[in-house]
Amino acid sequence: MAEQELVTIEINGIELQVPKGEMIIESAKRIGVDIPFFCYHPRLGRGQAANCRMCLVEVGTKQPDGSVRMMPKPQTSCSLPASEGLVIYTDTMAIQKARRGVLEFLLINHPLDCPICDRGGECPLQNNTLFYGPGVSRFVEEKRHLPKAFPISDYVVLDRERCIHCARCTRFSQEISGDAQLEFLKRGADMMVSTFYDTEFTSRFSGNTIELCPVGALTSRVYRFRARPWDMKSQKGICTRCSNGCNVWLDYRPNRLVRVLGRENEAVNEEWTCDKGKFGHEYVNSDRRLLSPLIRKDGKFVTAGWVEAYQLIASRLRQAVEQHGAKSVGAIGGAHLSNEEAYLLQKLMRVAVGTNNIDHRLERNQLPLAGNVMLTRFGVPFAQNAIADIEQAKTVFIFGSELVDEQPIVFLRARKAWYRRGAKVVIAYPEVTETELRFDEPLVLRYREGTEAALVNGLIHLLLDSNKAVTDALSADELQVLRESVRVYTPEQVAEATGVPVQQLEEAVTLLGEGTVILCGAKVRNHPDHAGLLHALANLTVLTGNAARDNGGLNILLSEVNSHGAADMGVLPDGLPGHAPIGDEEARQRIERMWGAGLPAEPGFNTHAMLESAAQGQMQVLYIVGEDVAQKYHDPELAQRALENAGFVIVQDLFLTETAQYADVVLPAASVAEKEGTFTNTEGRVQRFWKAFNSPSPEVKPDLNIFAELAVYLGKPIPVFSAEQVMDEIAKVVPAYAACCYEVLPAEGRRVVQSAARLRLTPAAEGAAVL
Amino acid sequence: MGELRVLFQHRDVPGIETLAVYEQHGGYSALRKALGMTRQQVIDEVKASGVRGRGGAGFPAWIKWNGIPKDERQPHYVLCNADEGEPGTFKDRELMMRLPHQLIEGMIIAGYATLAKVGYIYIRGEYTEPARAMRRAIDEAYQAGYLGKNILGSGVDYDLYIHMGAGSYECGEESAMMSSLMGERGQPRLKFPHAPLPTIAGLWDCPTLINNVETLSCVPAIIRNGGAWYASMGTEKSTGTKIFSVSGHVNKPGNYEVEMGTPLMELLELAGGVKGKLKAVIPGGSSVPILPAEKCDVNLDYESLQAAGTMLGSGGFMVLNDTVCIVRFMRRTAAFYAHESCGKCTPCREGTRWMVKIFDRILAGGGRMEDIDLLLDICDQIDGRSYCGLGDAAAWPIRASIKHYRHEYEYYIQHGHSIVEAQAQAIAV
Repeated sequence: MAEQELVTIEINGIELQVPKGEMIIESAKRIGVDIPFFCYHPRLGRGQAANCRMCLVEVGTKQPDGSVRMMPKPQTSCSLPASEGLVIYTDTMAIQKARRGVLEFLLINHPLDCPICDRGGECPLQNNTLFYGPGVSRFVEEKRHLPKAFPISDYVVLDRERCIHCARCTRFSQEISGDAQLEFLKRGADMMVSTFYDTEFTSRFSGNTIELCPVGALTSRVYRFRARPWDMKSQKGICTRCSNGCNVWLDYRPNRLVRVLGRENEAVNEEWTCDKGKFGHEYVNSDRRLLSPLIRKDGKFVTAGWVEAYQLIASRLRQAVEQHGAKSVGAIGGAHLSNEEAYLLQKLMRVAVGTNNIDHRLERNQLPLAGNVMLTRFGVPFAQNAIADIEQAKTVFIFGSELVDEQPIVFLRARKAWYRRGAKVVIAYPEVTETELRFDEPLVLRYREGTEAALVNGLIHLLLDSNKAVTDALSADELQVLRESVRVYTPEQVAEATGVPVQQLEEAVTLLGEGTVILCGAKVRNHPDHAGLLHALANLTVLTGNAARDNGGLNILLSEVNSHGAADMGVLPDGLPGHAPIGDEEARQRIERMWGAGLPAEPGFNTHAMLESAAQGQMQVLYIVGEDVAQKYHDPELAQRALENAGFVIVQDLFLTETAQYADVVLPAASVAEKEGTFTNTEGRVQRFWKAFNSPSPEVKPDLNIFAELAVYLGKPIPVFSAEQVMDEIAKVVPAYAACCYEVLPAEGRRVVQSAARLRLTPAAEGAAVL
Repeated sequence: MGELRVLFQHRDVPGIETLAVYEQHGGYSALRKALGMTRQQVIDEVKASGVRGRGGAGFPAWIKWNGIPKDERQPHYVLCNADEGEPGTFKDRELMMRLPHQLIEGMIIAGYATLAKVGYIYIRGEYTEPARAMRRAIDEAYQAGYLGKNILGSGVDYDLYIHMGAGSYECGEESAMMSSLMGERGQPRLKFPHAPLPTIAGLWDCPTLINNVETLSCVPAIIRNGGAWYASMGTEKSTGTKIFSVSGHVNKPGNYEVEMGTPLMELLELAGGVKGKLKAVIPGGSSVPILPAEKCDVNLDYESLQAAGTMLGSGGFMVLNDTVCIVRFMRRTAAFYAHESCGKCTPCREGTRWMVKIFDRILAGGGRMEDIDLLLDICDQIDGRSYCGLGDAAAWPIRASIKHYRHEYEYYIQHGHSIVEAQAQAIAV
């Protein structure tokens, strides 16, 4: 990166050097000078900012003769770029008067309903009035009156009387989320924030506007009147609603989560959350939480103690293994567990039960380890690029993903790459997506469902023909083989098969070059020929020169909070922790030595095989951890048959899910707010979360404790004292996690994957051809 | 001195709004001449003329022209400000209705000098008739080859578009006008030093020359007769002529073009003299400070009026006689700015409305003596604190009115009615 030019400026008589073009309000922070503001926000564009006029400062410029020429009017420091020789005064009599003036103006129409306002206590208007405002108002007229508590969606309520027109929310909806649902109506003192014709505020990121609002004009209907800010405690958490791993604050009162706020992490979510994350953690407080273990007796669930439950489970497990072998028991789950718990689950099953029948995957792609294209081609299990690096991309290729829904925070980065840095956007999806509406005229390749591989191979065909392909470091033989194999994918043929016009294919090829980030979503993960499609996408990545770049590469975006971590922890039928193949003698023995226990050498069943086996009545014990298999499995009918026909079903969850209805024993687990650990997000970043409060009942236990205690009842104790201690063990067992001990894990987390791309090509799979 | 008609030289010629008549009177000869000059020569003529922006600020026009990049890395634009919203001003209306080709000619020359291939005329929404006149003239100019591709065989392309405003005073402010033209909310944008000048990054972040109708209408005469000729008129720093829209208590209201530096009283004479007894004059549109009768012995140029504590502004010359109640007059002015404030900046949005509420209370008999100083203080807090000049313009007239007519405010507050009515009754008795 080019060195930034520094300029010398003077603030209140203190000389300092700052990057040229930095906003003066930021420069002032460097020397601890406080400049009050309302509308300024470093992540929102300057274009429509500088409207609150709170951050006015007096500005002069140093003349060659050393004198200072002052500008006639005060200037807004939030929009004034630093330049050589600027002289700033932030606290003159005139500025103090201007601040009093702005605050008096803002307060003349602002209702004094602070005692019942959610913002009270953490309100910039209150705070700035306290420090900079006039003691009394000279306003004796009638205040502005507008409807109060006007709901604009299920989550957000608008109070126009409180609005100070800072335009933060409108700027957010135009610049960041891109849905532009909030706008100003009317003008002057009648100006008001509104959705278009008072339609519902359906943004997927509406919650952020609540946090951005510097007053209580936009408040949360979920949090409304639940607490005063000073009555709450906050704990650092990670959102569990998708795999993006957003950093959040869990604000709670005793044993009750009252709200979720975005927590800053430049590497992941900056400071944003999506509405799923912000409003989607209410389940923690639910009255329907399981409060004690349940055992089915005479067809009905009966409350039981943990000892009874453990004894029953242990005896059934032992009995099954003795009578039917270790293949007759299996565990499904792990994608919702922390790394520590996932690690312990597989260790429990492998060491204490002696089976490799363990899997965390519910989607269609359940390929064996050797079939993991990303791992074999690029040396990373899922994602080559960090989320933050997406914004450096020259082209973002969104393939088979409704990104704004599947990966909201990755979407915001992709949109930032386009909005702020002018990245090109290519979207391939069979239907109209909301994602494509959030960019101005992206190139949309509307293929017919099922022709994904043909589309990609067609692009490769065009790329090889165009001389644009980056082939320098590639084997000539492999290139020739690939060339032959995609020969049939002529643009015309591909256009006919996929429905994407030749012109669009050609245009796409011109846009795909070095610096292309490919983001693959559910359509890729659930593709029937997952491996074939991924090989084609990997070829495309290599040929566009993105095999080993920060701002380019192939990324499989995952569905669950810890899908990545569960795979890393070895919750796989053929993979030990660290993606070590179970069939690899050396790798297995290394772990056997570390654990001091023998491991089954045969790969186990994947989820599908376990369910098939159970459906045929051959699975004696099925242990389902934190997954509603009956509802969420991609083939729910199979899942239901499996649950009906399995010999003994253990379900460990927060709720009596549909899956739990089939259970013989139900174990109540703690929610994410009630335990600590780490999650690994879709880019492979390990991040810590902390325990906020106690579970609703002392009978509810964190999964970690359940696994450890169960091991004791199985006669093979796994000593566990804390999540931290488990991570210390993981750090030894899994090389990639070596630097993830709690002591050394940085606040922004640590990415555990490093791309070790092999510049290999594979021929297009014949079976994938839909021509 | 009387009238000195440069822009209005042919105003009264029947049919001058048509191309044929305009051409008979030398129309488009300046364009032909300009196309034979280099671009810099054209700019230098404008510089020599010393013509200053007629929209109100009086900024030397040539600096803008010269500030446009000399190479064409991006498209360049010429934007004509025809959003004549300043109360009391109606000169651009007549220039567009009677002399549309003069403006078109000026805009083509401006486009030629600044490498722009596209010009926009942003006409205020209420000006449907001037817009129709411009439309007809532009169509004629296209047919005659003055607009479009390869103008007069010179290889220069120039297209001209009319954009109608939607009724906001604020959109006459150049950055708000650009927002409006680009389809955004009509609110001002960041300005120098917070953002580049429009000559560097204006419309769609491209170099944009923004001039008033009257400024651009001066250009053909300047090119035809030379900048030096134009500079020979007026005063040293305020060259040329200026059109004043005289309204109010005069016998012959209308547009009068006079040489810069003409005594104010002479303009009053031109307009047929004052009806009744002169009380005050507002020389540059409602935004500028009021000038009491005893100070009206002043010349009409930028410097002299500034020295007298007011401004030339847009030339909206409003004459008030002694039947006008200053308090009511200022209530109306304040209401205008409260209505037209775009709402972006706190001081202007809240302060203008607050002042109206105070005025309403005073007029309703509920005034307090401290309200006068409160009004002054609100003016101080608005003036210079907002994005654009609308806030300043809302504060100046009220502040000046209190300075000059504080006794009228005091009388109104004490008695609950106007001093003017009291005086009229006294005379009647």
